Amino acid sequence: MSAELQTPQKYRGLSAKRLTGTHALLRALIRLDRLRLPLWVLGIGAMSFYVANAVQAIVSDERELVQMASIFADPVGRLMTGPAFGMDEPTFARFYAAGYVLFIYLLTALMSIFTVVRHTRAEEQAGRAELLRANVLGRHASLTAALLLVMLANLLAAGLVLAGALSGGFPLPGSILVAGSGAAVGFFFAAAAAVAAQLTESSRSASALAGGILGASYLIRMVGDLGAPGGTALSWFSPLGWSQQTAPYVEDQWWPLILPLLFGGMGLVLAFALNSRRDLGAGLLPPRAGSARAPAWLSTALGISAHTLLGMLRGWGAALILSGALFGSYAQTMVETAADLPEQFRRVFTGESVMLGFLAYISIFLAILVAAAGVSGVRLLRGEELSGRAELMLSAPLSRTRWLCAHVLVLLTGLSLILILLGLATATAAAMVLEEESGARFRDVALASLHQAPAVLAVLGIVVAAFGWAPRLVGVLGWSLIGYAAFMTNFGRLLELPEILHRFNIFGYLAQYPVEPVEWAPVVLLSGLGVLGIILGLTGWRHRQINRN
Amino acid sequence: MNGMTVQIAGLRKTFGQVQALDGLDLSVAPGEVHGFLGPNGAGKSTALRIILGLLRPDSGTVRVFGADPWRDAVALHRRLAYVPGDVELWPRLTGGEVIDLFLNLRSREAGSSKNRLRRDELIDRFELDPHKKTRTYSKGNRQKVALIAALAADVDLLLLDEPTSGLDPLMEVVFQQIIAETTTEGRSVLLSSHILAQVEALSDRISIIRAGRTVESGSLEELRHMTRTTIEVETQRPLTELAQLPGVHDLHLKPSGGCARTVIEVDADHLDEVMLHLAPLGVRSLTAHPPTLEQLLIRYYGASGESEEPGEEPLGEPSER
Repeated sequence: MSAELQTPQKYRGLSAKRLTGTHALLRALIRLDRLRLPLWVLGIGAMSFYVANAVQAIVSDERELVQMASIFADPVGRLMTGPAFGMDEPTFARFYAAGYVLFIYLLTALMSIFTVVRHTRAEEQAGRAELLRANVLGRHASLTAALLLVMLANLLAAGLVLAGALSGGFPLPGSILVAGSGAAVGFFFAAAAAVAAQLTESSRSASALAGGILGASYLIRMVGDLGAPGGTALSWFSPLGWSQQTAPYVEDQWWPLILPLLFGGMGLVLAFALNSRRDLGAGLLPPRAGSARAPAWLSTALGISAHTLLGMLRGWGAALILSGALFGSYAQTMVETAADLPEQFRRVFTGESVMLGFLAYISIFLAILVAAAGVSGVRLLRGEELSGRAELMLSAPLSRTRWLCAHVLVLLTGLSLILILLGLATATAAAMVLEEESGARFRDVALASLHQAPAVLAVLGIVVAAFGWAPRLVGVLGWSLIGYAAFMTNFGRLLELPEILHRFNIFGYLAQYPVEPVEWAPVVLLSGLGVLGIILGLTGWRHRQINRN
Repeated sequence: MNGMTVQIAGLRKTFGQVQALDGLDLSVAPGEVHGFLGPNGAGKSTALRIILGLLRPDSGTVRVFGADPWRDAVALHRRLAYVPGDVELWPRLTGGEVIDLFLNLRSREAGSSKNRLRRDELIDRFELDPHKKTRTYSKGNRQKVALIAALAADVDLLLLDEPTSGLDPLMEVVFQQIIAETTTEGRSVLLSSHILAQVEALSDRISIIRAGRTVESGSLEELRHMTRTTIEVETQRPLTELAQLPGVHDLHLKPSGGCARTVIEVDADHLDEVMLHLAPLGVRSLTAHPPTLEQLLIRYYGASGESEEPGEEPLGEPSER
């Protein structure tokens, strides 16, 4: 028997054997994700249905359509939503493609990243993959099953997106193209996540790496599309840009989708090659030896908090400061295009000077992302608690108050520093390109970023309060606040949503400095909310039990 | 609190539907190693986490060095050290850095030469490589890091939750030696375990916990006193009539060569009569051994079929996490 197993004939079936068990595993994954994935798919489909029908309800006649369309065609509109093809002759279908399809692509990319990482690196990190691989299961089975699952979800989502577009009465070829482009984005980011899962040892770093690629795609697309209607050469360096360059309902080009398929395919080849090389559970970068002694700074509550939070703060900080400089450098372009803007556009930016409005908008947009860094910091604290590391720390003579205060202090310092540096970077870039009053604008822009600090503090306060009293809700509540603020800041006014919905946008309270003068009431109110939240969180943390999973 | 290091009475704790502790009593005297024995999910970890002040009891009293651990956690933690059963460390720190972190948090004199000596000696004895990042450690090595950090600390009480899970048998021996040394220095140890041999080798007193309740507590001798001695006796003819004697249980015969071997279990207070009965019967050899903790556990968890609560599965408590 054993001699027969070692014959060369048996080895010829090796590549097939590496996939052994994929089918059974895929079925198990479908069962595991029976709630989560359908929610993603339905959410993406619902977005398509809603937007396809809502645009026709909001815009009543042709004249208004032309006016609204110019919002997307102008530089800041392109910054937010994409290259804006065909806005000189807008139809409802083109309106849908230019203004809203990007968000379908973003959701698809996120679904793909999370699903692939969850079923590959996260399983390995938890040690469940080891348990699985000890059974009759090929080396590539897990990765293959996860990728098949995610493509299945992407195809279903594409089907719903298509149905949604058709329900709005949009032309068939363009609608198929929108749906197909979504699936292509999903495929590319599934492949990117598969590679990221091979490179890193923790699922968090894998998600962060793949998410970073998505963030970079978005940023490159922003700057590329800002340059000219229809995008510039830079747009072609963004995987999100590829799908938008198909120009659905206008040019209906299929060939740009070759790019995500080609690069995604290369990513898959790379992921499988890496998967055959590395040990189960290991990443690719070999771990290095370190010091056998702890430096004095590390052995304090503040030191260990910094150790936990610094990597996250550094990553967000670098990306945001770079983005600030990038946006700031467009200040002069804004001055030049200010002349020919429609009424509705100014409504988004409150005020006469479009340039100042643009800079005000940028400072809010980036401040929301600073708050997102805060949410992700509090999620790290929760991770410390669930992993048992907090418990171990607290078993030493270290009070809960000091433990939480140290972490919040590190977070507050880090976030403030990011806001200040981000403001300085934006301001420096703006002052360099502006032809008039660059000195005054430097001060305005730098202050505009700092002026958002109370809103960031308020978000942090709410999330810390949740950590103290309802720790399970930290993630859900935090990300909802951020997502809602981002959505309302971008689209709240455009979609003419009822006033009550604006009240839940934490970033909607502050005056839009430098367009409007600073109002002190919301500054005090939001700061108070933040401080109160942190105090509440501390109280809750002192009184609740420490959880472990 | 009459000087007890740890004093727990009537402790109750529920998590949602699950009753993790249901009237736990436990006391640890100064300088003793107290074995805290029970199957998985019996509530051992919950009890330890309450002693640490990480969880708040629903009812009952807990006193550690006479103080309430929920309220005075920080002051108490200066006098105790804890090793969790499942150690998670900071993956990007080295083992040496983690040990230093805990020593420094615990005491300002951590940098003193005496403490450094103790730390380095323990690292040596446990054969830990302190230069490696903890993410590369196996479970056993992570356990060693927590053990060294706790054992090197200058404290009066060690709370050890299944401290040697993942350690190899050689390290287990090292661990037992070090615990024996620590107690000569007057420290108390609360050692939770389901490894009977470990508890037996180290403990002065033992508490057995089942389904969140203390079912037995006392010194090993006291517990044995309540149970049966196993006697294996070799005679020329089988001694089936022994089964008639009071206090004799589970008689069975083992054929061996030309003679008969009889194995019986005898209640401690009937040993006298049994020995008197055996004496005139031409005993060729006789071995008697006290009950092992396995036997104690099997009796308490009902696997022998004579449990006080019939119908329950042995060792089958619901997991508490």
